[in-house]
Amino acid sequence: MEHMGVEPGRLNFSWISSAESSKFVDVVKGVTETVKALGPNNNFKKAAKVA
Amino acid sequence: MKVIKIEKKDWAGGIGKIQDGYRLFGPVRGENFHDFKALEKGESPDLNFQNTRLSPKSVVYPQTEVLFEYSLDEKEVDHHVMKDAVKDYSPKAVLGIRPCDAAAFLLVKRNFDAPDYKDPYWLKSYDATTFIGAACNNPCSTCFCTTAGSGPFCEEGLDILLVDATDCYYAKAITAKGENLLKNAGWNTEADGGAAEKIETLKKEAEAKISSSVASNQLKSKSTNELYEASFWEDVSFACINCGTCTYLCPTCWCFDIQDENSGSSGIRMRNWDSCMFPLFTIHGTGHNPRGTKLHRVRQRFMHKLKYYVDKYDNGIQCVGCGRCVRACPVNIDIRRVCDMMNSYDSKACACSEK
Amino acid sequence: MLGYIDKIKEISKRLLDEGKVDMIIGFKKGTMPMMNEPCFVKTPDEASKLVWDSNCGINLANYLTDRKEKIGVIAKGCDSRNIVTHIIENKIKRENLVIIGVPCKGMIDRRKISAMFDAEVRQVSEEGDAIIVKGNGFEEKLKKSDLLQDNCSTCIHRNPALYDELAAPLVEEQKDIDKYADVRKIETMQPSEKWDYFDNLLSGCLRCYACRNACPLCYCPTCFVDEANPQWVGKSQDETDIRTFHFLRAYHCAGRCTDCGACERACPVGINVRAFTKKLEKDCFEMFGWEAGISIEKRPPLDTFKPDDPGKFIK
Repeated sequence: MEHMGVEPGRLNFSWISSAESSKFVDVVKGVTETVKALGPNNNFKKAAKVA
Repeated sequence: MKVIKIEKKDWAGGIGKIQDGYRLFGPVRGENFHDFKALEKGESPDLNFQNTRLSPKSVVYPQTEVLFEYSLDEKEVDHHVMKDAVKDYSPKAVLGIRPCDAAAFLLVKRNFDAPDYKDPYWLKSYDATTFIGAACNNPCSTCFCTTAGSGPFCEEGLDILLVDATDCYYAKAITAKGENLLKNAGWNTEADGGAAEKIETLKKEAEAKISSSVASNQLKSKSTNELYEASFWEDVSFACINCGTCTYLCPTCWCFDIQDENSGSSGIRMRNWDSCMFPLFTIHGTGHNPRGTKLHRVRQRFMHKLKYYVDKYDNGIQCVGCGRCVRACPVNIDIRRVCDMMNSYDSKACACSEK
Repeated sequence: MLGYIDKIKEISKRLLDEGKVDMIIGFKKGTMPMMNEPCFVKTPDEASKLVWDSNCGINLANYLTDRKEKIGVIAKGCDSRNIVTHIIENKIKRENLVIIGVPCKGMIDRRKISAMFDAEVRQVSEEGDAIIVKGNGFEEKLKKSDLLQDNCSTCIHRNPALYDELAAPLVEEQKDIDKYADVRKIETMQPSEKWDYFDNLLSGCLRCYACRNACPLCYCPTCFVDEANPQWVGKSQDETDIRTFHFLRAYHCAGRCTDCGACERACPVGINVRAFTKKLEKDCFEMFGWEAGISIEKRPPLDTFKPDDPGKFIK
């Protein structure tokens, strides 16, 4: 995805066991911060109307 | 009709004069080939081409066309009601369409302008268009227009035939629409008596350069069932990968699919080109597909163009001989060969597979 | 490579004569310059129509999918690798195949050749390592090595990976090839440049699906773009939908793509579809040391788990 222009950080993968609640919180916090820092996504948004 | 002489130096100026009254389209050179594009202000079409990779059918009949718009927002009074999409049917002109491609619109018109059903979108768009044909002095080796009901100087479907006579253009007005455009462009010098003769000479020369042909004279008398059951289809269809290249490049293929697309609480109903090469084209809601194999689909394409159309309209084959499908097919399936096989097919003699 | 054909005909004829196969899948002479048409041959006499030259770029593995007959198939390096992939993925049975391997010296790029001349190219023939191009009023002799398809010029598996018969002695593989220079060029771009690069790349796409249909890997009974319930992808010329098709198709080819170039060759508007697949091919090579279709013994990286699989992207 990054290869075709999606900014690094917008797409995230994680492996969290159902027992790892604190890891889950940390990852979500981290992802939210990174994505907020990147600003709104302007790619992959379908134009409202096709001409 | 009268013939106008256009000095080459006056060509761009004339285009400048009509660019406000018409939306102009013409062949434009891309990286590796020409295609029809909307011309920018001040841009002239590039007439130094043999033919475009894609046919100009999209000028009248875009690959994606919005037909209706709707709202699902219940706060709006006309929610859940299909409303006509806003369309631009103001005059447009295609500068430099090849005669075969202009003739193709007439074949398509038989479908979209039938006695019982008329397609308003196609018809309004077609009627708004003036076609300025660029006579074909140097046809490709794959052109077989002269045996497919058209020709390099064919006037069918054109409003003006533009002939490149090296040191000037001759513009032959064929319809009132064409005459009007010539007048608007300020091209009004009537050519002298020699022009008609010159055009005739160039036409003869161009026709003599067509090196490829199809035979279609027997198609009508062949039995539909026998052709359908013919043994050569396995051989013809083997290489086919069922892509849509032939149908999307073809100036005479008209099939489409209708789709609704929602975005939030509003949406559009549109139509997109479709292709008989795709399994999805015929699959039923039950999951059954009456054209379930590629043999079915390849046969359908050729039978439609070369048999059903011939029988239905009694006006020749549904092909103008532009040769695009021959040139672009990724696996070299050649309609000229198939047409000849169908035309000469004899079910009794055919214990063999092919030629 | 012209010299191969007698041997190919001889083997094909023999296999059909002896009843070892029901059909041979190969090429017959095309009607266009630089084109041959995939065909089948079912009787020994018909074997004479087979041809082999530098215009056999179409991947014949594509014609084997789910076939039940005993088939003799003519396979250059990349075809054979896709046949291996087909066997691994149970799309064809090894015992039903007789693979007639063709050591390959590369296929020529018909678009590159056509683009070199203003006038129409009407006839192309080859003599050893020379390609002779003719049109109305011109004739030129060119070096074949300058005219190869892009993927052929960087190919390091010209010899078939799996074969039962050989049409010619094995050829020397190309050495010191920088296979991924083009991918690295994209990798160094900024995200927005990358986005624009692919936008521009796909701007001419017609969604004819020639790339998908020419690809031996794309054999899904219903492609995700054709699914109607639910419908994953829109059908219009919207650029988001077009891009979705291309990048998702590339993902489906990850660890399977042999860079045979069939997709690029088939595209009617000349899009370098390999710009997507090649990145994944490179990643598979760098992360897993994997090249698709080399051996029927090994399982592909994406259907096996190893404790030392790279996982840096997982946080």
